[in-house]
Amino acid sequence: MGNEGLDRMTWSLLSGSATEQEMARLDTQPVIQILPDANVIKVGGQSLIDRGREAVFPLIDEIVENLPKHKMIIGTGAGTRARHAYSVGLDLGMPTGVLSVLGFFVSIQNAKMIHYLLAKHGIPSIEPAQFAQMPLYLAERQACVCVGMPPYAYWQPNPEIGRIPPHRTDTGCYLISETLGARSMIYVKDEEGLYTADPKKEPNAKFIPKITVDELLQLDLVDVVLERTVFQLMKNAKNRRSVQVINGLKKGNLTRALNGEPVGTVITA
Amino acid sequence: MDEQAPAAREIPVDKRHHVESMLMRESLLDKQVMSSTETPVVPMLPFCHVVKIGGRSIIDNGKKAVYPLVDAIRNALGEFKLVIGTGGGMRSRHVTAIGIDLGLPTGVLAQLCIIDALGNAHLLGTLLAPLGVVAIPPEILGHMLPFFIKSAPGVICNGDPPFSIWEHTPRVGRIPPHRTDAGTFLLAECYGCATHTLIKDVDGLYDADPKVNPNAEFIREITVSELRARNLPTLPFDRVMIDLLANARQMKQFQIINGLKPELLEPALRGENVGTIIRKDESS
Repeated sequence: MGNEGLDRMTWSLLSGSATEQEMARLDTQPVIQILPDANVIKVGGQSLIDRGREAVFPLIDEIVENLPKHKMIIGTGAGTRARHAYSVGLDLGMPTGVLSVLGFFVSIQNAKMIHYLLAKHGIPSIEPAQFAQMPLYLAERQACVCVGMPPYAYWQPNPEIGRIPPHRTDTGCYLISETLGARSMIYVKDEEGLYTADPKKEPNAKFIPKITVDELLQLDLVDVVLERTVFQLMKNAKNRRSVQVINGLKKGNLTRALNGEPVGTVITA
Repeated sequence: MDEQAPAAREIPVDKRHHVESMLMRESLLDKQVMSSTETPVVPMLPFCHVVKIGGRSIIDNGKKAVYPLVDAIRNALGEFKLVIGTGGGMRSRHVTAIGIDLGLPTGVLAQLCIIDALGNAHLLGTLLAPLGVVAIPPEILGHMLPFFIKSAPGVICNGDPPFSIWEHTPRVGRIPPHRTDAGTFLLAECYGCATHTLIKDVDGLYDADPKVNPNAEFIREITVSELRARNLPTLPFDRVMIDLLANARQMKQFQIINGLKPELLEPALRGENVGTIIRKDESS
């Protein structure tokens, strides 16, 4: 058995002469799933955690109930304090990279709170530098809490419009699920899923149970349930081509989503 | 407690506990809300210059390419504050090839490549050590950069952004799209630096790879929209730079120069066109 593929690819990369298309042709090996049993769950900041005990405690109970059956990487959103920090930061003229650092801090606070509520079950919380320990924690304790915000900090790319960091906690959690080849990506929010408009402002907004990324982009909605960068990333994804948005205020939804049932909006690329 | 201070107020309408702010209760996913956040940016280090030194194009060639450039950097440091980012070069390409063969995803490849660029940063840091210019790992560099740059004439970092396993899967293949050209540009944009220069082993941008096609035509200056329209198959910089420049608020351009002609460094830092300048469109 020869190693021609690797030889050709190494040569192309070292010589630097191959175009992206040529490189992609040489890239024939499938991408492995690093943690195929793990489910990435994003707990919303403004939508869940900012509601306090009433919303958070039942969700924590449901996470604990699912520990025997499912491995969970639990990322946290940032929420209203991030909005406050962004508002003050924008007023002071902060660039996107600094706003990204501020958002990261709020996401850390939320991760810490969720972690303390789960601590008695032996569930740890990790920061980006500790991600290498995650497989052990999942094997030992079935779950692990982490910061939802990607650690782009001062290197956060600007958005097309405005100055708010375009890659926030929806994107950060999504990228964990894509890179690690996780079993699912579940967004726990306070709405049933995707609507044709923000249902908090438009009572006539229509619910969409299932949609593709292309259909979604075609609708060109003014407001969507997930950060727009997630949709582009899904189109390019090697592993995670679908995500689900569920209402975490309804008991049982997380369990059903973990069991693979559609209970909210399923978005596929 | 100051009774007048704006307090956190409970808004019973939606049962979420908000902190009063301009973006309170707003969806950060709403395009209209987002356009309201377009305000002027404070430049943090407008007197600094960011240069990226190619790994494969310069550092991997050893003494003959690196020493003259280091001499030029040494001279420039008398007049210019430099933030120097390094590329990963051959070792990054090698580890990428092995990683792809092993089936590893883009995010893991990005994490691996950061390590080679950091190695090159240390090589350069050793040569510039007498000037107090050393390699600083990215986890320390971020918010400390203004402090370091006041204490030394320059700092060296690995050029990659700290995306690591949060790197984006590209449209084709799986090579990390945000590499060292992009990382140094993002840093220059966030800090509002004076210039961003990519130091390579070619004079700048050609309409084809000049190493393969001797008839390739040199392009001295081009805008983002022209570059997008021409859709050149090979570029001497990370393709994602085009989008990053299009969305830049502080940086208006970047330049590619030939590091094998080290005398070009200082004019480039003064803003003279001595290679290829890629310009953001006026209106965008």
